[in-house]
Amino acid sequence: MIGAAGVSASPELRARLADLYAGYDAALDEGEYERWPEFFTDACIYKITPRENYEAGLPAAMIACESRGMLADRVAAIRETTLYAPRIIRRVMGAPSLLTIEGGQMRLAQSFALFETMLNETSTVFLCGRCYDRVVDDGGTLRFAERICVTDATNIPLSLIFPI
Amino acid sequence: MADGGTAPAARRWPEGGIGRIPNWVYTDPDIFARELDRIFEGPSWLYTCLEAEIPNPGDFKRSRLGTREVVAVRGEDGRIGVLVNRCAHRSMQMCSANRGHVKEFMCPYHQWTYSLDGKLIGVPFRRGLKGQGGMPADFRLEDRGLESLAVTTRNGVVFASFDAPNETLETYLGAKMLDYFDRVFSGRPLEVLGYWRQRIPSNWKLMMENIKDPYHAGLLHVFLITFGLFRLDQKASTEIDDETGRHGVLVSRRDDTMPTDAVAELPQFRDKLKLEDPRLIQPVREFPGEPTVVMQTIWPNLIVQQQSNAMAMRQIVPRDAGNFDLVWTVFGYADDPPDMRERRLRQANLFGPAGLVSVDDSEAMLLSQSGIAAGEDGDCIVEMDGRDAKDSQHMITECGIRGFYQHYRTVMGL
Repeated sequence: MIGAAGVSASPELRARLADLYAGYDAALDEGEYERWPEFFTDACIYKITPRENYEAGLPAAMIACESRGMLADRVAAIRETTLYAPRIIRRVMGAPSLLTIEGGQMRLAQSFALFETMLNETSTVFLCGRCYDRVVDDGGTLRFAERICVTDATNIPLSLIFPI
Repeated sequence: MADGGTAPAARRWPEGGIGRIPNWVYTDPDIFARELDRIFEGPSWLYTCLEAEIPNPGDFKRSRLGTREVVAVRGEDGRIGVLVNRCAHRSMQMCSANRGHVKEFMCPYHQWTYSLDGKLIGVPFRRGLKGQGGMPADFRLEDRGLESLAVTTRNGVVFASFDAPNETLETYLGAKMLDYFDRVFSGRPLEVLGYWRQRIPSNWKLMMENIKDPYHAGLLHVFLITFGLFRLDQKASTEIDDETGRHGVLVSRRDDTMPTDAVAELPQFRDKLKLEDPRLIQPVREFPGEPTVVMQTIWPNLIVQQQSNAMAMRQIVPRDAGNFDLVWTVFGYADDPPDMRERRLRQANLFGPAGLVSVDDSEAMLLSQSGIAAGEDGDCIVEMDGRDAKDSQHMITECGIRGFYQHYRTVMGL
């Protein structure tokens, strides 16, 4: 069940939203990146951008996908083409808050903390920040039409490889 | 002597000249201290910012040159100054925003105030209060301005120096490098599209070497190879500046020919891989001449990236022998039509801390430093295509790295 912040939403809608987030988080937390694009509409926007750019209205994001296909291409790169040292990124996601419902679009926000464990090293804080989401009913299934992940730090420890 | 390191004077470059790099140049804190002294605070033009970041009088942008914090600011007369971000009073970092606009700089601690050109113009209670306290009679405001650097600009790019070189930026770059610089910075107004930054746990020189090394680009970067953006069988050149070897360019000319057998058979080549959304890499030719990729390294802290339509300044900020920050300023041209701006932002996915190509390099630097730090007595071999520092008309070469070390050894006395 998703908490609503000053907007009225039926228990049914809250439960459907909770299922969307639970499914999304379960897929990413288990590293099932191939399933990641399923949670987005075809013409989705997915970005990871530092707060410094986000607040200044500067458009260059570290990751900027404009379609479900581009999400799939990211996953293919992680699997097939990118060199990276072995590591685990542990996502700890806050409870999403439902902020507004307008014209069939639901806006939500969710904070995140990511921890990084490089092989043979101790665990460290990797990144924290907040996701700003727009969810729509896509033919009977709730999906992300937009997810903007805003990182508090501009300075990234080495590399950002996996989606949030 | 810090951390028990050997004094640089006791270090001996290995046999083999610039074809060999001793591992201690990447790890020794005394070597790092000498680099700060002779390179970053020596007679070098250091990339500081773009003029587009500070278009109006009073606009400022913080930057880091070597390990020193500076503020670039446009003065009342429109000229750009670069000031050390440290109050003359108690050495406090005065300016704590990355960018902004001010009428004057005021240190928040005791409100000492400086004009935009760094002159000290106000000290509260300088003459005391009701006859009590105050600075000694011989205290003079004009003796206590902010430390100010030598500044030079070219076509919208700002360079500064702690120890003004006795050569202009143009001479410093040399005719050949200047032509490549002017190709991107023609005077056409620039637009900053955003900032990225990453902390890389390796020595700063590995970043320079990475961009001076086309040999790795056609092997490591499976994404580039697979999608034909950079292949070892394409027409290319690796050029260094004629005077010293300190600056360099990698130039490649993308063509639509199929990979030659030698490339297609590389274990890295993924011939089955197709992009689901090919908009990611649909470059459009925008510069005159054949080159489609020009990566320029400018001694000691700048990489100018022009990879198809994705452009960025990559500023190297060394932190210690084993760490540096890479600061990316992503830019386009102010008069770009909307579709070109969109294309640049799309292609930006290949670069930066999450870049489909750049991640390979960041991770390679981590692994290089790990290997180097575990065996300081070893040497790296950079003898691909010879042992000297001269241009190559291909990519199977390490001549750019040798050019860098030819100059490095002179400056460092090694």
